[in-house]
Amino acid sequence: MSSKPKIKDLLDESACEYNKTKKQACNAPRPGATTGGCAFEGAQISLFPYADAAHLVHGPITCLGSSWETRATKTTWPGRDLTRMGFTTDVSLNDVIFSGEEKLVKAIDYIMAHYAPTAVFVYSTCVTAMIGDDIDFICRQGAEKHGIPMVPVHAPGFVGSKNLGSRLGGEAALQHLVGTLEPETTTPFDINLIGEYNVTGDMWQYRHLLDKLGIRVLATLSGDGRIKDIRCAHRAKLNVIVCAKSLVSLTRKMHEQYGIPSISLSFYGKRDTSKGLLAIARALGDPGLVARTKKLVAYEEARLEERLKPYRDVFADKKAVLNTGGNKTWSIAAALQDLGLEVVATAVKKATGDDRARAREYLGEKGVLMMNPGVEQARLIDEKGAHLLLAGGRSLYTAIKKGIAFADVNQEKKKSYGGYDGLLNLAEDLKNALENPVFKLVARRAPWQK
Amino acid sequence: MAEVTRKRDKPLQVNPVKLSQPMGATLAFSGVDRCMPLMHGAQGCTSFTKVFFTRHFCEPIAIQTTAVTDALAVLDGGGYSIVESVKNICKKTSPSLIGLHTTGLPETRGDDLRGVASKADFPLVYVNTPDYEGGFESGWALTCKALIEQLVAPAATVNDNKLVLLPHVSLTPIEVERIKELIESFGFNVLALPDLSTSLDGHLGEKQTALSSGGISVEEIKALGNAGLVISVGESMRESAKVLLQKNAGMRHHHFSHLQGLEASDSLVELLLAETGFNGVTPKVERWRQRLQDAMLDSHFSLGQTRILVVGEPDQLAGTCRILHDAGGRVTLAVSSVDSPQLEKIWAKRVLVGDLEDAEAAADEYDLIVGNCHCKALAHRLRKGLVLRGFPNWEEVGNPLKNDLLYEGGAYFLYETANVAEEMRGKTV
Ligand code: SF4
Repeated sequence: MSSKPKIKDLLDESACEYNKTKKQACNAPRPGATTGGCAFEGAQISLFPYADAAHLVHGPITCLGSSWETRATKTTWPGRDLTRMGFTTDVSLNDVIFSGEEKLVKAIDYIMAHYAPTAVFVYSTCVTAMIGDDIDFICRQGAEKHGIPMVPVHAPGFVGSKNLGSRLGGEAALQHLVGTLEPETTTPFDINLIGEYNVTGDMWQYRHLLDKLGIRVLATLSGDGRIKDIRCAHRAKLNVIVCAKSLVSLTRKMHEQYGIPSISLSFYGKRDTSKGLLAIARALGDPGLVARTKKLVAYEEARLEERLKPYRDVFADKKAVLNTGGNKTWSIAAALQDLGLEVVATAVKKATGDDRARAREYLGEKGVLMMNPGVEQARLIDEKGAHLLLAGGRSLYTAIKKGIAFADVNQEKKKSYGGYDGLLNLAEDLKNALENPVFKLVARRAPWQK
Repeated sequence: MAEVTRKRDKPLQVNPVKLSQPMGATLAFSGVDRCMPLMHGAQGCTSFTKVFFTRHFCEPIAIQTTAVTDALAVLDGGGYSIVESVKNICKKTSPSLIGLHTTGLPETRGDDLRGVASKADFPLVYVNTPDYEGGFESGWALTCKALIEQLVAPAATVNDNKLVLLPHVSLTPIEVERIKELIESFGFNVLALPDLSTSLDGHLGEKQTALSSGGISVEEIKALGNAGLVISVGESMRESAKVLLQKNAGMRHHHFSHLQGLEASDSLVELLLAETGFNGVTPKVERWRQRLQDAMLDSHFSLGQTRILVVGEPDQLAGTCRILHDAGGRVTLAVSSVDSPQLEKIWAKRVLVGDLEDAEAAADEYDLIVGNCHCKALAHRLRKGLVLRGFPNWEEVGNPLKNDLLYEGGAYFLYETANVAEEMRGKTV
């Protein structure tokens, strides 16, 4: 039987707020008017942080050649970090005509002989899905031969968006890894972190707090993850979805199959980090744990306040316009407010209904939810007298024209803004942006234009 | 000359240097003013490409996708998605040209690009660039050829003052500008096709628009047919020169496999002197030639004791290996992204069509690496010196302004490389 998931089922995800109201595929791509990555990219993102596994891309060079080493998914894995490596079958015309299966089998053997990973993910891509290479069969055979899990990932780019791909990646892990091993021990406070990829070390900003509380992260999907752990994930007491909508169907299925409840939260900014920790404690249902968490939260918040003091003056009376997408529309807004900035507007064009509601909640009645940020942001900067624009690269020119500071929130980030400590990183970056003379200087007219 | 290993006995690429044909095509179309590159395939290739170049050039990159999806992948022959794309693009912007190029998906399906393109009532140039064939360099070259074939009007007379420059994919914007300047100093009117020197040179313009700005204009391309002279740089550009010559029997063509180092720079100047009958160059050119000679002497001692690995596209390898060789550097290994007839002529002991895993396996053969930013991990692990060159370079800013060419760039390049070599030696002893 093919392990190909039913795409339609995933799109109709009942647990997804967005799809409840809108019976249409999330972000269905439109020819000539599309931005954003493909399903393959999404699948890779969701599984990539397993640094002890090889990620083998079965396709021509585009899929991997342009993308390896782009994501800074940090790991504590002591062996060679396989996420820093690119593996691809680089199929050629010959393979397209006569099938790339033989090459794939040999490629797996090669990886096993040279890198000894704890699992192999085999990603199908547009061309190899099209020519019908049977990656299910090859993975099954490879797993038998080499004695480790080999996971076929059916997320060729043409099935849809990055978001859908992440779901497909999650599905693959659920189907081929979860429940295939028993943990050595269990505790009453075992949780899985789902949808946290530890980009720039986000997860490490709060993981030590969970440790302090005695909450054990049994498995992750897949930040700083280990194959051994995700195979044991079915024994967790709680699934914690971090800042991601894309893996709700996975957690729903884990609830159905293994009875694991789930909660969804964000570790962005002070309030959300505190709320998140408390939510986990409450969901685990232990009064002692809740009390301990309250104490820890109070301590951490006080400590953060102390360290934020030098920034308070810089941010007092400062107004920001935020133009980003998804959960960032409110999570970054919340973080900015925690720093004492006033968020006068946030873009909700690319946000779900759920995200919009949360944005309204954080910004209050006065805050503007921009439906057409490209046009609105320039006007709002003037009207509200904003000092700072946080947006993707292209909006830089708007900021320069207005002579206000700019921070890129869509770029591949280098520092983590997660948790309490990450908020300090954000504060430092925004302070630097606000104090940087460059935004006024580059807009200066040339002597011969005056 | 080099001992070349072409045949790969590996069933896969591990840490590839190779980039795809569609990406090369995108970059070539970016050198045309107000062009919208339209990649035909599923959306991921386009998204990856956009991010890749945005990070490399630190510039917004215009590009769109035909966004082929599951249902379309089976039913459509390319017609619907391409026509829809053109419609949607024109709703938002008014490009001067749409640069339609394929990926593996529509090529596997066998889309009739020419048929669809012929029906589009919009200025459009199409090119087949499946990613399971060729690579970055050939994608650029095929696009250049398509631009000439489909746009340049045949002509019967020539304008002796007009010169067409056909640069290969690895020349940076500033390098193209420097070649143009040198030729212009001989009184020529130079047009580069494609021309990144004015589009991706890092200028701060009115970048609100979603289109490329700068670059050669469509009108200029159409009128290239009456140029008196054509200069191609890089083996990959020979085909483009050939099709351009077919547009006008009176055109003359000169080819350079690269323009790095003293001899190659001299030969370009010699040609220009012969063509114009001038008996000298500008004082500035003269000064820079002396400086390059001096740089060769100043750096020869250090480079002479350095064994070097060079990684990159074939045409780029040709120039880089040569200038290093001329200053005494021993290029013990060159790793080429793809095969090319140029490889035999490369000034290296050994040339390998391969990946960075192959380079790692040959670690005792070199002390210093000249290559893209994927080489950083390699250099770090193996404790080698590193000079960042080629695509991608996400580690450094200022890539459009890196100049290794002709007299001036050559001098800077040799100094930089020698300094890195010394620094590395200081660390390892
Ligand atoms: S769209 Fe298809 S071919 Fe392109 S990167 Fe995604 S999987 Fe690869």
